[in-house]
Amino acid sequence: MPKILVVDDEEPIRLLYEEELQDEGYEVATAASGQGLLERIEQEKPDLIILDIKLADSDGLDLLQEIRTRHYDLPVILCSAYEVFKRDVKAIAADAYVVKSSDLTPLKKAVRRALEGRGR
Amino acid sequence: MTSYEENPARIEQADIVVGIPSYNEAQAIAHPTTQAGLGLLQYFGDKTSVIINCDNNSGDGTKEAFLNTPTEVPKIYISTPPGVRGKGNNLMDLFAKVDELGAQACVIIDADLQSITPRWIRNLGEPLFMDFGFVAPLYVRHKYDGTITNNIAYPLLRSLYGRRVRQPIGGDFGISKKLVRIYLEHEFWSDETAQFGIDIWMTTQAIAHGVPICQAYMGRPKIHRLKDPGADLGPMFSQVVGTIFGMMGPCEPYWRGVKWSRPTAVFGFGLGEVEQPPPVEINREGLYRRFSEGLTQFQGIWQRVLASESFAKLMEVTEMEREHFDFPSPLWARILFDYAMGYHNLDGERETLLASLIPLYFGKVYSFVLRAERMSLQEAEEYIEEQCMTFEETRPYLDERWGKRGKKDAQDSRGR
Repeated sequence: MPKILVVDDEEPIRLLYEEELQDEGYEVATAASGQGLLERIEQEKPDLIILDIKLADSDGLDLLQEIRTRHYDLPVILCSAYEVFKRDVKAIAADAYVVKSSDLTPLKKAVRRALEGRGR
Repeated sequence: MTSYEENPARIEQADIVVGIPSYNEAQAIAHPTTQAGLGLLQYFGDKTSVIINCDNNSGDGTKEAFLNTPTEVPKIYISTPPGVRGKGNNLMDLFAKVDELGAQACVIIDADLQSITPRWIRNLGEPLFMDFGFVAPLYVRHKYDGTITNNIAYPLLRSLYGRRVRQPIGGDFGISKKLVRIYLEHEFWSDETAQFGIDIWMTTQAIAHGVPICQAYMGRPKIHRLKDPGADLGPMFSQVVGTIFGMMGPCEPYWRGVKWSRPTAVFGFGLGEVEQPPPVEINREGLYRRFSEGLTQFQGIWQRVLASESFAKLMEVTEMEREHFDFPSPLWARILFDYAMGYHNLDGERETLLASLIPLYFGKVYSFVLRAERMSLQEAEEYIEEQCMTFEETRPYLDERWGKRGKKDAQDSRGR
């Protein structure tokens, strides 16, 4: 069962994603902040990360760069309420960029594709 | 192939090499040579280095212009024998020399680069000392620049090999010692690869061999000798596209296992304000005319190569009014996949086949120009990304057709 780590500082979002992704058959772990994320990745060994950009204590785009340096091939999906960060060149290093919405279909599709793409 | 070499400083070892392939670049080569020298000193001062011009025996004084450019870093000039041309041949000479020098890293830059700074050498070279094996450039380009990249090389590479390398034929690269060895022991080589097909060949080989890849963010746009895609296509189109189609055979075990693309890490942020690229003039009239002329010249080939649904859809496109012309991306993806099949099913006539694709490419570029007219660079970029996603979603179409071909081949071979 693929394991997903959801990193978001809003509790309702974490709970929503956890429930919905578990229903899809994934194992889900959550983190409320970007601090200590790299250590958390070492411990949890997730197959994919869903990463909020505007975290209270850190910038998701900078975290993405750090993740890429240590975990070259780990799929990361950026999530934000704002479309504007998609235009930041740093976002290129993400597997997908999903704008937050009550409809989780695009997120689930992005998760499925990122996990399937990892096969190579 | 016996190459000619001038090594005035008698260099026998280097940790890092900057290679500049050229043919008749006497007017332009001094600038990238100077910047390469400064970059090597500034960012790799603790390492031994050399700049190598790998030339095609240019008759315009490229050798003298290169060797006479003042640099603190030593220089070597090598050339293919008289009459042997091609960027691919130049780079094979370079790789042999890099291997001989025992270099850990090799940076390649174009000889006509005007916007290069010393930092480009750092950004293309440094990841090679951090376990990356292949570094592709990432720069801001005008929305009408790089039309072969945007409409063919990037979407095909991404949908076939599953890596998002935005500038797979960008001309400026970083290559590790290990990858240089892979290139020297290459399994697939063709006349096209020996020419301008070399860039896509290098990128594809890096992906197919599982070499860790990153993109170096250059900060400045690539400013070089700009070409109007409607006027200056030349043989480059056939060389690039022929190499992509040609590699699909030997690389089939790799790409058949790819479902969706993955991103590629980016190196080199914090360069401040990004400069806007210079405008590119485009001959719309010429693009549309060449597309329309293709209908008369190649309709028969189109009908043979394309699946009947693709051909019917293309005929609809040819009937559209010029002002409202639109070449849909799903159709373009199917056409390229059909052509890839056609290329593999033919033993001869490949030149004609590729020639018949050129008018369709002009039609696609014309459609893009109309659509992107009011788009910002970012919006045009998003459009290209969407087009790539269409290619990825159309992949099952190729897989199915290619699978049938595989079965047919097996039956044919049993028949023999």
